Amino acid sequence: MYETREVALEKIDDFRWRIPRSYKPGMRVPGIIYADEKLLKDIRQDKALEQVANVAFLPGIVNASFAMPDIHWGYGFCIGGVAATDPENSGVVSPGGVGFDINCGVRLLKTNFQYEDIKDKLKDLVYALFSDIPAGVGSKGDIRVSAKEEKEILVKGSKWAVGKGYGTQEDLECTEENGAIQGADPQAVSERAYERGKAQSGTLGSGNHFLEVQVIDQLYDRDICDELDLNLGQVTVMIHSGSRGLGYQVCEDYVKSMQHCLQKYNINVPDRQLACAPVNSAEGKAYLSAMKCAANYAWANRQCLMHLTRMVFEKIFSLSWQKMGMSLIYDVAHNIAKIEKHVIDGKEKGLCIHRKGATRAFPPGHPALPERYKKIGQPVIIPGDMGRNSYLLAGTQKAMEETFGSTCHGAGRLKSRTAAAKSINLGVLLKELEAKGIIVKASGRGTIVEEAPQAYKDVNDVVDVVHNAGVSKRVCRMKPVGVIKG
Amino acid sequence: MKNYELIEHTADLAVRVRGRDLNDLFKNTALAIFEISSEKLRNKDIKHKKIIIKQKADNLPELFVNWLNEVISLSAAKGLIFDGFQISKLTENNLEAVASCSDIKNYKINSEIKAATYHELHIEKNESGWQAEVIFDV
Repeated sequence: MYETREVALEKIDDFRWRIPRSYKPGMRVPGIIYADEKLLKDIRQDKALEQVANVAFLPGIVNASFAMPDIHWGYGFCIGGVAATDPENSGVVSPGGVGFDINCGVRLLKTNFQYEDIKDKLKDLVYALFSDIPAGVGSKGDIRVSAKEEKEILVKGSKWAVGKGYGTQEDLECTEENGAIQGADPQAVSERAYERGKAQSGTLGSGNHFLEVQVIDQLYDRDICDELDLNLGQVTVMIHSGSRGLGYQVCEDYVKSMQHCLQKYNINVPDRQLACAPVNSAEGKAYLSAMKCAANYAWANRQCLMHLTRMVFEKIFSLSWQKMGMSLIYDVAHNIAKIEKHVIDGKEKGLCIHRKGATRAFPPGHPALPERYKKIGQPVIIPGDMGRNSYLLAGTQKAMEETFGSTCHGAGRLKSRTAAAKSINLGVLLKELEAKGIIVKASGRGTIVEEAPQAYKDVNDVVDVVHNAGVSKRVCRMKPVGVIKG
Repeated sequence: MKNYELIEHTADLAVRVRGRDLNDLFKNTALAIFEISSEKLRNKDIKHKKIIIKQKADNLPELFVNWLNEVISLSAAKGLIFDGFQISKLTENNLEAVASCSDIKNYKINSEIKAATYHELHIEKNESGWQAEVIFDV
């Protein structure tokens, strides 16, 4: 079933490779992969490149089917893919181009602490975070939401949480789309989706989702670090979660209903998981309305998770979160489809940008950015694995010109979960992490092994590529010291 | 011998399942989902209930994916784990089944299966019966 065929790649430069349209009849545009020789060896191990070629079949796709250096095999789209379609040229929207965990994303908040300030209380902090932040499969939270409020969350996103006292106006400014994308229609969300997402606000979930206490171990762009007030040794917190059961069900509902659209709109795609409908069709509009609901749910969720984090810090350090300087740097979505303005052949167009395992990386001056980031560009948050590093990057003009303002989203998986479980010993892994000064708490022992550093590419290699290719630039690097997993 | 096995996939869960006939294949694949993702904590005092599941589709692969997704979705939405299926009707376009289930509290959940996908989906008849390969998002 899984024999891979060699995809013939043309080298564009040291960091870009092309899959020519001739690779597969039906490709409307080429595939372009951002990678260096080292990462390419790993990328060739699975079927991700084949998926990059398959995405190039989508009607209305513009310029290329892009893949970031953290690309790996997914279902339908590869993980780490970017595809823009033009609604005025029969461009489609595909739920598979967003994925089941709609608006899976990351937020990064800073503190005034240096590592030395917290190290004696680190264990207490990690245990308290694990105890107070619901994590694990199907976890349900203490944040109780009425049926009426659930619909409110889908429209208001993070603003709902802030209205409940779980944050501030400043948090909203520092969230992509201000934490609520416009055009969400709760009517487009099925009853089953509501039921599946019930009581999951303020819960981390499982799998690769996490909450990490980190320490800045490398500064790259001193000017931006100064602007953000970030220093070596400073403690940060990173939260990675998504839209939980509600988002999964929205995706499932629309992948199902869009199977019929392939015939109805005479669309030819090589994989039914790429089922899609024209952006301007009733089906396309309905999906986008529902997807926006799930995206807003995810932003509210991460806002609640941040609130719970701030409360735990208050409990452990007996200071208010404001006194501890726990302000949000930024929150980004890395599984989403959005209508954005981009320049194509000198003309500004509204395109549907699918980012599946890819992060928006808008440049300085972009109108979508809050005033405070107009000068430095959009903060881009790249989580790594639990044993190595994570990054803060900034968006660039080159990303705008080459990748529809997009960059990578993480380290990218290297080993399957089963291979990780077979080859990694939990006891040895925990000792290795402990030796590095990393405390890990997880709901399931299996999760730690499946999410071990060895199961991932080295995020440093991934970030080297996006930085050197110019589609985002390094600001600073963090290392984990406390990890909470689902 | 188990009637399913895991196959390699970088990020998700790929499974090969066998059945004596199509009915058996549908049943075994649905059961595999719960065998893989959950572990029973106790055998005594478990209250079971029955749920009727009906699915329609345009073709067999669609029916197969719809069936698996309905089972996954019901489990997540209702907090139930399924441990038995009786499929009373199965054509290329229609399925009717009675599912046996109990509260999720009776189980330890090891992993979350979000949905079945069409990617690399294969359903085929062979000499010994039927076989399917399916990738689940986890």
